[in-house]
Amino acid sequence: MADLTTKLGGVTLKNPVMTASGTFGYGFEYHNYYDISRLGAVVVKGIRMKPSHGNPTPRVAEVTGGMLNAIGLQGPGVEKFLHGDRYMPFLRKVGAATIVNIWGTTIAEYGEVAARLDAERDGITALEINISCPNVKAGGVAFGTDPVLAAEVVSTVRRATTLPLITKLSPNVTNIAEFARAVEAAGSDMVSLINTITAMAIDIETRRPKIANRTGGFSGPALKPIAVRMVYDVARAVKIPVIGMGGIMTGEDAVEFLLAGASAVAVGTANFVDPYAPLKVIDGISAYLDRHGCASVADIIGKVEC
Amino acid sequence: MKTGEIISNERLQNDYFLVRFHVPEICAAARAGQFVHVRIDRHGDHILRRPFSIHNVEADGALSVVYKVVGHGTRELSRLPAGTVCDLLGPLGTSFSDAPEDATPVLVAGGYGAAATYLITKQLPQRGIFLIGARGEADVLLTDVYREAGYEVQVATNDGSVGTKGFVTVLVEKLLAENPGRKFFFYGCGPHPMLMALAKILNARNQKGELSIDHLMCCGVGACFACVVKVKADTPEGWQYARACTDGPVFNLDTVYVE
Repeated sequence: MADLTTKLGGVTLKNPVMTASGTFGYGFEYHNYYDISRLGAVVVKGIRMKPSHGNPTPRVAEVTGGMLNAIGLQGPGVEKFLHGDRYMPFLRKVGAATIVNIWGTTIAEYGEVAARLDAERDGITALEINISCPNVKAGGVAFGTDPVLAAEVVSTVRRATTLPLITKLSPNVTNIAEFARAVEAAGSDMVSLINTITAMAIDIETRRPKIANRTGGFSGPALKPIAVRMVYDVARAVKIPVIGMGGIMTGEDAVEFLLAGASAVAVGTANFVDPYAPLKVIDGISAYLDRHGCASVADIIGKVEC
Repeated sequence: MKTGEIISNERLQNDYFLVRFHVPEICAAARAGQFVHVRIDRHGDHILRRPFSIHNVEADGALSVVYKVVGHGTRELSRLPAGTVCDLLGPLGTSFSDAPEDATPVLVAGGYGAAATYLITKQLPQRGIFLIGARGEADVLLTDVYREAGYEVQVATNDGSVGTKGFVTVLVEKLLAENPGRKFFFYGCGPHPMLMALAKILNARNQKGELSIDHLMCCGVGACFACVVKVKADTPEGWQYARACTDGPVFNLDTVYVE
């Protein structure tokens, strides 16, 4: 059987499959279904300094090939995350490799939350900087659609922690590779992409948007070809490892991302359809590697033939 | 996650259907008020699961759900023949608690909310009252099964086509006015505005009970925070969002936040 161990710079994961932030709660929610320490990493829902209510409802709408969401980063705040039973202490207890997604409404807040997590870093594999949530007014994508601000957020976090840093990029830009280069130069150790694509759905009977926030982020299988293209572009533009995501439902989907240049992948919306989706993706990658006589995941990373 | 065959899937009346799944393990664990999250999609284009209140469970492992055809998912479901194997998560969510023995259970349903309160009649030793409100006669559901369960049935319709004209809350107010001092325990399930109106009335009269509240749901397991509803909380605003799928769908009247 092929070796699934995955190296992302200085970070080693037992396999290349993570969960996408916001689709897997804080891990606790899915541990009823399987042992989440089997995952390459659990990427938790976005954490900032203070608790947040998130957006009004309805927060989701189904569309052909996926869904729109505008949850708005509801969350417990960093203190409850660090000490609440169902959060970091639980992830430590079950031995899940944990990546903490962080955000703030100001650049300073990104630094504060990173420093706070750094101070209690036991069990934290890396931080993922969220500069791409399309559903919050302050923070999020406002920083992710301006390369200068994006770099400023990353360098602020870089100064606050020595933990490995992943920057999650927004697809809502013309040239995503430019953003990848900007955050690489600012000290990001990896990039992850793509976040959701800003989108809208309208109920034609009521003539009102289907979600209260009017617009939301589009995710799901229909997204995959766009995400694969962006991963391909970014992987050729930077030297740091790329984590690919966007519409991955199966192991075969994940292999496409690896061939396009991702060193690891994240499973998002598929969790809502099938709680076991990430495990099936791991098995699917393994079966592909065996079928193609590959000894390890590294054998196929970036091996698309163009 | 359990897979189970559809035993039957038949029209109850008009746009309402009753589907029975063979899922013995879910039946054995199910409590009144809980739900199952059903994967209906056959083509990969509408991928999300659909949550349904558990209507009934039978000793032979049949779990039934009552649904109205309202959109893509329920239309697809209505076309699935007996023998189709489905994938269900459940039982999920919190359940209704037992009314005190000296209280009369009052089940207050709006439309197909009537499906979700039926298991209570099997769980409680005492009989009670079933109040249903609906748009018109075509939407008055399941009154026979509640009568068979020994419940007194009262109906209200918006158009007055059957029963009292008006909302179901008219029946609730009348019941309370006519029975001062009688101890009730209320169970509510129906559309959000109806539940909020019910909560207002019951809380103002210091009545005890529980409401099944939900919102457009996504993961069903507490991870995505799509289905949140407002509950009272020690925050500057006096409320916080709780997840209908795991903190609910059953919430105590005390905790429901009415705007």
